[in-house]
Amino acid sequence: MRKAAAVVGLALIAALPQLAQAETAAAPRLTIYAAASLTEVFPRIDRRPAYNFAGSNQLALQIRQGAPADIFASAAPNFTQDLYRERRVEKPRTFASNKLVLAIPRSNPAGLSSVFELRRKSVKLVIGTARVPIGAYTRQVLRNLGMTSVLSKVVSEEPDVKSIVGKIALGEADAGFVYRTDVQPVRDRVRAIVIPAWAQPKVRYEIAVVSSSRNKAAARAWVRMILTNGRARRLLTQAGFGLR
Amino acid sequence: MKHAFNTVLVVAVVVAVTFLALPIVAIFWQVGLDRLVDGLRSDIARDAFRVTLKTNAIAMALILSVGTPAAYFLATRRFPGRALVVTILELPLVLPPAVAGIGLIFAFGRLGLLGDELDALGITIGFTQVAVVFAVTFVASPFYVRQAIASFESIDRTMLDASRTLGASPAKTFWRVALPLAGGGLGAGAAVALARGLGEFGATIMFAGSLQGVTQTVSTAIYQEFDVSLDAALAISAALVLVSGAILLAVKILPQWTGSRSTSRSLFARSAST
Repeated sequence: MRKAAAVVGLALIAALPQLAQAETAAAPRLTIYAAASLTEVFPRIDRRPAYNFAGSNQLALQIRQGAPADIFASAAPNFTQDLYRERRVEKPRTFASNKLVLAIPRSNPAGLSSVFELRRKSVKLVIGTARVPIGAYTRQVLRNLGMTSVLSKVVSEEPDVKSIVGKIALGEADAGFVYRTDVQPVRDRVRAIVIPAWAQPKVRYEIAVVSSSRNKAAARAWVRMILTNGRARRLLTQAGFGLR
Repeated sequence: MKHAFNTVLVVAVVVAVTFLALPIVAIFWQVGLDRLVDGLRSDIARDAFRVTLKTNAIAMALILSVGTPAAYFLATRRFPGRALVVTILELPLVLPPAVAGIGLIFAFGRLGLLGDELDALGITIGFTQVAVVFAVTFVASPFYVRQAIASFESIDRTMLDASRTLGASPAKTFWRVALPLAGGGLGAGAAVALARGLGEFGATIMFAGSLQGVTQTVSTAIYQEFDVSLDAALAISAALVLVSGAILLAVKILPQWTGSRSTSRSLFARSAST
């Protein structure tokens, strides 16, 4: 009995290093840190890498703290450019663009049919925090529309775009600013209201190889694939992304 | 041999303490006292503490006023299905907060089970402080109720019977005999529930969202300030460690001061007070 316990204990201790460097020994598996809005499309393009999807600001912070990422794909250029200036990533490349929409639940509890109606109706609005790209773009849209007073109708500031989509899909919020590409995966529950082209911010996605990556060759090949591969480009377009 | 065994025990304690204390030490090492004070002066920190204290005070009032009589009933009566009832009350202890959040949304949300009824009454709970109170109550109450049941169960039955034979009504027996005897244990349970409630995160951010001054609690503020103002996030974290640590320590020290021995009779408090 005691022997068995000792064996189990030793086995656990022996397993710890393996846990810490999961699968580096075998064919190197890329670890990709990507903006939450890429949650659906990246695995469709390539199922093999390990993905970490979150707000680009959080991912940038994690990479700055030494997270073991091979590639960083950000929904806003400022995060990739900051890291590039600090030499934490290689030269970033723009690989896609996006548009903002106003997402509402299919049930449309606030009876919205245009973004301008946010002004006069009583609306529970959900947006991103000022720091996460979707939140920054949202504030830009509202400035372009001359509708910053609408910010007083915000009932929650979410850490990433998928949390906004979730609160709309569950019908808890009346409306939220998200990317056009976020609506498609939940279109049975969520509808998009178009925002006029003249009010759209420039939403550019940048991708870069992380300088501390131990799989640089494979990571560079993956970035090249996203930029040039016909199937990858087609899948991005199908998901609603613009090709820069 | 005996010596070797002792060594193993000591090593185990050192490993456990080091592993658990290191993240805490790291927080304080990062902040420093001056930055701690500065960070706590920020609007975000002040608002977060105000919201957290208010919602937790209400949640604790609800937990104590409903949980105490419920626990007394469950501790003093035996009936078919009692195990099931106690399990339901304890379930939030083992549920991931995300599950609690989903459950609250589908129970009290606009499209939830009670959504239409609440809507008819003109009540919306999501994104309000009521939602924060619900989330805190849901995740923290089992910590109190479990301990309260154990405390009431550990009361010597003959005391309650004596009170009854001496002519006290069941209600008077509860107020004058059971409550004072179980008091220490109830206090310990309340303290642990409060410490858990102050740190509530998952269910809150899902059900109540996060808006500064309204629904943003200390935990959600830490999460959202992390990359905006690391100082503020660290300062709030450090303050939360101090508050929660003080509560846990008080649970261990206070019974010794007051000379109350009622906590030591229950399973939970035995480890807490020795």
